[in-house]
Amino acid sequence: MNYFEVFGLERKLGIDAAALQRRFYELSRQSHPDFHQAAPAEEQARILDASARLNAAYRALRDPIARVEYLVRLEEGRETKEGDTVKPKAPPELLAEMFEIQEALQEARAGGLDEAARETLSAQRERLVARREAEEARITGELSAAWDAAAERAKALASFKAALATRAYLRTVIDDLTEVLEATDVAHHRH
Amino acid sequence: MAYSEKVVDHYNNPRNVGSFTKDTPGVGTGLVGAPECGDVMKLQIKVNLETGVIEDAKFKTFGCGSAIASSSLATEWLKGKTVDEAAKIKNTDIVNELKLPPVKIHCSVLAEDAIKAALADYKEKHA
Repeated sequence: MNYFEVFGLERKLGIDAAALQRRFYELSRQSHPDFHQAAPAEEQARILDASARLNAAYRALRDPIARVEYLVRLEEGRETKEGDTVKPKAPPELLAEMFEIQEALQEARAGGLDEAARETLSAQRERLVARREAEEARITGELSAAWDAAAERAKALASFKAALATRAYLRTVIDDLTEVLEATDVAHHRH
Repeated sequence: MAYSEKVVDHYNNPRNVGSFTKDTPGVGTGLVGAPECGDVMKLQIKVNLETGVIEDAKFKTFGCGSAIASSSLATEWLKGKTVDEAAKIKNTDIVNELKLPPVKIHCSVLAEDAIKAALADYKEKHA
């Protein structure tokens, strides 16, 4: 039983968060191990499994991005992030850009930041955050809607993978930028 | 999760870190990324144009210890190989050598992708 089926849902991304939560609470009560203490051991084990699966299903589906990540894995028959056979190709410009920022960060880590460099990196970070947010909005918005419309699912799946990859690159470089800005900030105030 | 000794060694003493100027004759550049974690890896080869042997290799990887170790090991293996021999390096060879756990296999895949990309770039430039 996949996580959509746990909630009696179709394999679609447009999920009403409030309705999902209500259903989660209902099902939680039914499968809560505390209410089945008198049941035979076999039955208790089954209920424990169901309860664990329900929690995992809710975690995977309540967040719209995690939901898409789960859907991609499900469609490809994978349990984890590993084993992705068809790699989404990141746009070469994006990789070059990420690499360039990482090189600048490496220099900043080694040599510290002056005020101008700090401002440049801060501005860059803001632009990257805006891009990540735009990418997330595209994933949960138009791409998810396209999937639900069931027009060209293979194409939709490929778009999800490319967009999730772009988001991963942006997230990593944003985290690294944040780390460098914070670390050098501390150093700065020590003077 | 504990890293194997070999991963730690490559991480602490990475071999062949650096870069060649892209348009130097004989140089092939591969720039690849891992969508699972956002790591980026640049791997370059410098081929002797007369013998077809890879004389030098360099890398620069921004990522986890396994990604760094995988690319560091890859540059070591590349040196002295012909372009055709280099194409035979497989990610599974890297996994075995570094004893990478299943969750880090994508790091070795990344290194193999980088080798392929560098070779393809070299061939394209020197066809």
